Amino acid sequence: MAREDSLALLARGEIPERYKRNIGTIGIDGQKRLLKARVAIVGAGGLGGTIIELLARQGVGFMRIIDGDSFTLVNLNRQLLATERTMGMNKAAVATARVAEVNSDVETHAVPAMFNEDNAVELLSGMDVIVDALDSIKYRLLLCRMAQKLKIPLAHAAIAGFTGQVGTILPTGPGLEKIYKSTSGSDKGIETVLGNPAATPALAAAIQAQEVVKLLTGIGETISHKLLYFDTELNIYELLNLV
Amino acid sequence: MRIEVRLYATLRQHALSAAEGVLAVDVPEGSKAADVIAKVGVNADEVHILMVNGVSSPLNQVLAEGDRLGLFPAVGGG
Repeated sequence: MAREDSLALLARGEIPERYKRNIGTIGIDGQKRLLKARVAIVGAGGLGGTIIELLARQGVGFMRIIDGDSFTLVNLNRQLLATERTMGMNKAAVATARVAEVNSDVETHAVPAMFNEDNAVELLSGMDVIVDALDSIKYRLLLCRMAQKLKIPLAHAAIAGFTGQVGTILPTGPGLEKIYKSTSGSDKGIETVLGNPAATPALAAAIQAQEVVKLLTGIGETISHKLLYFDTELNIYELLNLV
Repeated sequence: MRIEVRLYATLRQHALSAAEGVLAVDVPEGSKAADVIAKVGVNADEVHILMVNGVSSPLNQVLAEGDRLGLFPAVGGG
């Protein structure tokens, strides 16, 4: 079934079978909003792979998936889209193939290139929400600046070891410069020491995907002006006030 | 005055005596967050988020008796 068919059913107050378990949470109106939404996912690795899977199942109508990288063996421990079959394949291309298997309502646009200053405006313009699933602090800061400039909300997450953080950056709120000192010289965080185990990106990505759903449907409260920090080693879950 | 310092993730290595990364640090009146960070032995360059009583604050924030200082390193993996 194509997205137009699902939208036509929803317009008549009927619920497409595949979205029945969504409706109690987001309602028919929420499902319609998701199907009409356009989301850019920047990075299709540990965070991105899970976010893409969840948003495809939830029924987000259009996803632009941006990643110039290809899968390698070190991705297999945590990246949902990395399988023995997809080794060496471009991450964005693998992601769009996966979405096509999961939900044919969802249109995808694979961009097999790294996000940078030159392609930022072209790739992000017209999106309703941008997802930060990068692994470079330098490019996260660039993505945040561009999202705020284009007045598009940004769902951010990052992980390392047992630790992760999730937050939503609004166009007028505090940006990632409150979270990362750009003067530190390093492009990476403590993940260079702690690594990236299997469950941490999935946990952060699930909350990040939920932020996207809340932004698109207008339901609930996003983690904006705040940062959810978790450390599952010590069962710490804290909301940090960024203003 | 006494400041409660909470160290997160890799910064906990500077609090070997307190497994959960919570320390009580005595510093002179008028001390700044940066002074406490130096006393604990943390490299200020490693601190990306600095919270005082739950509010994001700068390194030169002047502290008061009983303040809670939270120090977070950069988490950047994806």
